[in-house]
Amino acid sequence: MYQSFIGLEIHIHLLTKTKAFCGCTSEFGAPPNTHICPVCLGYPGVLPAANEEAMRMSYMVAKILHCTLSPKCYFDRKNYFYPDMTKNYQISQFHDPVGRDGYFDIEVEGEHKRVRIHDVHLEEDAGKMIHSGKTSLCDYNRAGTSLLEIVTEPDLVTGKDAEAFIREFRRMVRHLGVCDGNMEEGSLRCDANVSINLQGQGLGTKTEVKNLNSARFVRKALEYEIKRQKRVLTKGEKVIQETRLWDGDNNVTAGMRTKEKAHDYRYFPEPDMPPFCPDDAFMAAVDERMVELPLAKKQRYLNDLKLSLDAAEFLVEDSKFCDLFEAALALESSEPKLVANWLCGDVQGQLKRADVSLEESHISAGRLNELVGLVESGKLLRGKAKEVIELIINDDKDPAVIVKEQGFEQVLDESQIDDWVKQAIDGNPQAVEQIQAGNKKTLSFLVGQVMRFSKGKADPKKATEKLEQALGL
Amino acid sequence: MTLLQGWKGVLSDDRTKENYKQYVTGWEEKIHSLLEFDIDRNAESAAAGPLAGVPFAVKDNIAVKNFNLTCGSKILETLNSPYTATAVERLQAAGARVVGKTNLDEFGMGSSTDNSALAQTNNPWNLNAVAGGSSGGSAAAVAAGLVPFALGSDTGGSVRQPASFCGCLGLKPTYGSVSRFGLVAYASSLEVIGVLAKEVDVMEAVYDIIAGRDEKDQSSVARPEVAPHTEIKKVGVLRQIAELSPAIEAAYQAAIEQVKSLGLEVVEIDIPALDYVVPAYYTIATAEASANLARYTGIRYGHRTADDSSMEQMVAASRNEGFGDEVKLRILLGTYVLRSGFQDQYYIRAQKIRTAIRNGFDEAFQAVDVMLTPVFPTQSFLRGEGELTPFQQKLADKFTAAANLAGIPALTYPTGVAGGLPTAMQLLAPDFAEHRMFELVRRLTDEQGNIAPVGYDEGWRK
Repeated sequence: MYQSFIGLEIHIHLLTKTKAFCGCTSEFGAPPNTHICPVCLGYPGVLPAANEEAMRMSYMVAKILHCTLSPKCYFDRKNYFYPDMTKNYQISQFHDPVGRDGYFDIEVEGEHKRVRIHDVHLEEDAGKMIHSGKTSLCDYNRAGTSLLEIVTEPDLVTGKDAEAFIREFRRMVRHLGVCDGNMEEGSLRCDANVSINLQGQGLGTKTEVKNLNSARFVRKALEYEIKRQKRVLTKGEKVIQETRLWDGDNNVTAGMRTKEKAHDYRYFPEPDMPPFCPDDAFMAAVDERMVELPLAKKQRYLNDLKLSLDAAEFLVEDSKFCDLFEAALALESSEPKLVANWLCGDVQGQLKRADVSLEESHISAGRLNELVGLVESGKLLRGKAKEVIELIINDDKDPAVIVKEQGFEQVLDESQIDDWVKQAIDGNPQAVEQIQAGNKKTLSFLVGQVMRFSKGKADPKKATEKLEQALGL
Repeated sequence: MTLLQGWKGVLSDDRTKENYKQYVTGWEEKIHSLLEFDIDRNAESAAAGPLAGVPFAVKDNIAVKNFNLTCGSKILETLNSPYTATAVERLQAAGARVVGKTNLDEFGMGSSTDNSALAQTNNPWNLNAVAGGSSGGSAAAVAAGLVPFALGSDTGGSVRQPASFCGCLGLKPTYGSVSRFGLVAYASSLEVIGVLAKEVDVMEAVYDIIAGRDEKDQSSVARPEVAPHTEIKKVGVLRQIAELSPAIEAAYQAAIEQVKSLGLEVVEIDIPALDYVVPAYYTIATAEASANLARYTGIRYGHRTADDSSMEQMVAASRNEGFGDEVKLRILLGTYVLRSGFQDQYYIRAQKIRTAIRNGFDEAFQAVDVMLTPVFPTQSFLRGEGELTPFQQKLADKFTAAANLAGIPALTYPTGVAGGLPTAMQLLAPDFAEHRMFELVRRLTDEQGNIAPVGYDEGWRK
């Protein structure tokens, strides 16, 4: 019986405005070689200057991962030649990284698992190479942007574990506000190390799987790779230590066809950067920006606020929704379940339709509470709520104002409804006949008539009740 | 203020400008100290300031926008600098104007300037003698009176040794006291931008302008609020130095006598770790160089080979064609000492020696205010028969490289002339005690008279 061991190396692009060691913007998607300067191009004579916000974000991640934080962290040079590396060494951390020996909890199919973190270290990213025929072009916009690497111990067992880790980790960095977590654009990248061995024999010979640009691919690639290694060992052959690329079109991993060189990176301390020693003010700023882990938040939503699993999952997926949800609850003692359902339901739906993000949408905690209150008190027709949300998004107005301006108030006057019911019955003798003959479906036609007379302001439930009463059903 | 009075109008008046060009051209035909000379190109300078209108030259491994930045190498022969070094910017803000870039040993690697791939600089005292290195162009230009001061860089003695060979003052400031931003890196943890000048007052003024913390260089430090005292009572000297040439030995003894005659106490100091300076220096310097010089591949700038059959081949051939032998030797050595599994034996061991040297000086400066040592075991040497081999030149870096390993400031000053070539001595002081050395040099050279090569002239400035 084989046992599998999976470790992940996750790289995240920190959401700093500027690059790690120069003043260039770290924005994604600009025309090639427009966000560059002598420093990130590695011109002779330039020196790196550390970005304090990158240091802060690095310590935030290390802290939330329960790492031992370094009181004095050093940078090292990692030496290797590649055209996308402007200096042909990467400023990284080897001997004294930002954090070590942490852990991160995940949930796989309802079961909690703790994954140990080996270390968290800050480094600079390389540029990009674009190959076309016999020519290769370099784009250095990304060169020198801050990249945080998180290395786990080989504590994950299955592809599903790894997928869950990535999803939970992505949620965490988004909540922390240090990375947008976008795997397709490469702002969150993952390489996986995997080995298998007979039960009780410890780690086997590992392969490293790359080119995993979604959490699903991480799972599929690892599931494939574990199966492949089993086949190799069962045949009595040996697993070769190598780097393999995931081929998403054919759902296989394939060994890289390059000569695998044993790299000696010749790490040595970066003489251009003094060690970074976080002081009390720095650590206070880190503490101030700590957040509740999404997994803990989800548990709290389920256990304390009694939200449905779907609602809790939906909310923690996006910290902005969590923030609005919690702000709404803090403002008024609304029923959490109700507020959550509105957020997951119509609010989310209308935002999607309008293609607007929550932050840009003019939807505030106060307005959310007001909307829920209007519906609950019967002052706003349930069916008009969607339109109200749409108008908040477009016109930046309070729900009560919209209801009034648009005339969305529900008609509560019983005699008025009675009049419309009478009108509907009197004007449609044929329908009444059909209903009385047993065709109950026609009742909804009469309800529709009442709604038409009321210009939509009657409560359809009320109208049905009254019609049934009047027709003696 | 009388500082540099004779130089201030030189660039503003057509007649003196013409005189200046002629004077420089006359010397340059013989010494080739400048790789570029253009008195009108550098328009960045402020109109007013303590150095308003004063020309200066900059070693060609220090960036000045619109000038080349060749580092004396074929690999950067075509590079025009897109930016200016902080030290140069500060001098420009004080009104000084860059008029030329000076020759050097390729990337600062050498002790003669003969390792330049672009020009051979001769010593103004004897055209068959080397100017010293690696800031040989700066030293020769100052000694010949082409500029009142020049910037150099000092990694293991590269300002001080050529200054001593050419007969001018050379300052290696405290590590980190002058920003390295814009200084092309050879060995980052050892080097600093330094000053070469004829007069100590000029050197002091320049140092005061360029020193100070720079946000672009995170290894730079602000000068302490309370400066080290400048009062000198005790001067440390080294006991038993076997390797000095007779002329330098005599000059050292004379300098010790002169110190005594000033009423100062001479104390013999022993720093055992000094014997390990050279191996430790070359281990650390080459290790850092192997990484610092990795960026020159011809991909983004500089020399690119015609052989672009593959990515690897293009990089390898560009570097092979672009670098000279001494540079290749040091890159190989540095790569070797950093190999994994060998770092304990070389790099880490060298760092331990470095700490021991620093501790040795810390202890010495408990007992004395400054130290007086030779700069180099010999005067400038002649090319050809009897010249120092590259290996002998490296061994001779002992007195200068010690200051780089310790990070302390050092100042070399001419003491006289022997056999038609200058002699010089070196002062060493604790961190940030540059002014203590300026003070002592003022006293030591007070009655010295002008030490200058034949052909040196100030008359054209009037």
